[in-house]
Amino acid sequence: MPEEKSLMDKQFLDKAEELVEALRAEDEQRVDRLLSEITDLRESALYQELGMLTREIHDSISAFATDDRVAELVQDEIPDAKQRLNFIISKTDEAAHRTISGAEDTILLIDAFSDRVGPLYRRWQQFCNRELSKQEFIDLSDDLNRFFEACGEETNAIHEKMNEIMLIQGYQDITGQMIKQVINMVQEIESKLIGLVSISGSRKPLMTTVVEDSGEIAVGPQLPDACREVVVQSQDDVDDLLASLGF
Amino acid sequence: MDKDMNILIVDDFSTMRRIIKNLLRDLGFNNTSEADDGQTALPMLKSGEFDFLVTDWNMPGMDGLTLLKSIRANEELSNMPVLMVTAEAKREQIVAAAEAGVNGYVVKPFTATTLEEKISRIFSRIEAGAG
Repeated sequence: MPEEKSLMDKQFLDKAEELVEALRAEDEQRVDRLLSEITDLRESALYQELGMLTREIHDSISAFATDDRVAELVQDEIPDAKQRLNFIISKTDEAAHRTISGAEDTILLIDAFSDRVGPLYRRWQQFCNRELSKQEFIDLSDDLNRFFEACGEETNAIHEKMNEIMLIQGYQDITGQMIKQVINMVQEIESKLIGLVSISGSRKPLMTTVVEDSGEIAVGPQLPDACREVVVQSQDDVDDLLASLGF
Repeated sequence: MDKDMNILIVDDFSTMRRIIKNLLRDLGFNNTSEADDGQTALPMLKSGEFDFLVTDWNMPGMDGLTLLKSIRANEELSNMPVLMVTAEAKREQIVAAAEAGVNGYVVKPFTATTLEEKISRIFSRIEAGAG
């Protein structure tokens, strides 16, 4: 390209010198011709440049379009990523609601517990101050007995709720793995696009992120509507499969 | 089943490690340790202080299946019971884990009951085998 440019510059210079000569000689016809030749020369330089640019863009777009991996990304993985992100939204939404419900249930249990403790404590204080009649003391003893029995059940219920809340937090692992899958896909698209931009845009090679296809067997969580033939849908499916293998 | 046994929990997500640790404690297993991938877990296991391994599959560094294979290939550790708790749900993966010698397989998300069932199943089989 620099050679083409210096050739072009020489042509301009020659014409310009000729033009000066023609002007000095007051040869109007020659001046007109030379001016139009200079304009043509300028236009052709522009067209050449434009042509080159168009060709490069065309080549890089063709390469991009015929890259099988790009087709795969566009046809399968981008829609899949959208599905994954939607799944993450519903999963986090579900986890948040279940956590809030669990906390609400626990608060109700604790409040009910505390509502029963207050009056019993006051009656116990009356007993300590010898303010209770015999019958009142018998009633208090019965109530205390029932309360202690209920204590075990209620603390168990609170314990269960707390365990449930804890278990729900497993969503962070599942969604975290899915987000990682989407990040990997975005990185791959980024590297493809950088390749495209580097050819058609700056014409300078840019640093690209190499995405390694590790071929590892672990692929992370699958969407719930994944093909049942390939992906198990529940722990029961896992157990059946393992049982079929003699487990 | 000895509730005092030493259990190693391996998962790259600290939330999941905490969940499993708490569930195990709830089941009466108080001696648990944690590692965030196979590479960290293997030297811990080789130290010989663990009786049971609960591991995830998909982890950076060394994944759970590789860890399982390394354990089965190690003379000292080859008989260690291993429960895989993982989001890997492809049938071929479960078959691969079974072939590699896993003792139990739980898919995430799981319930406390499932975990309990699988652990008792693993140990009742071991005890039956030993008896």
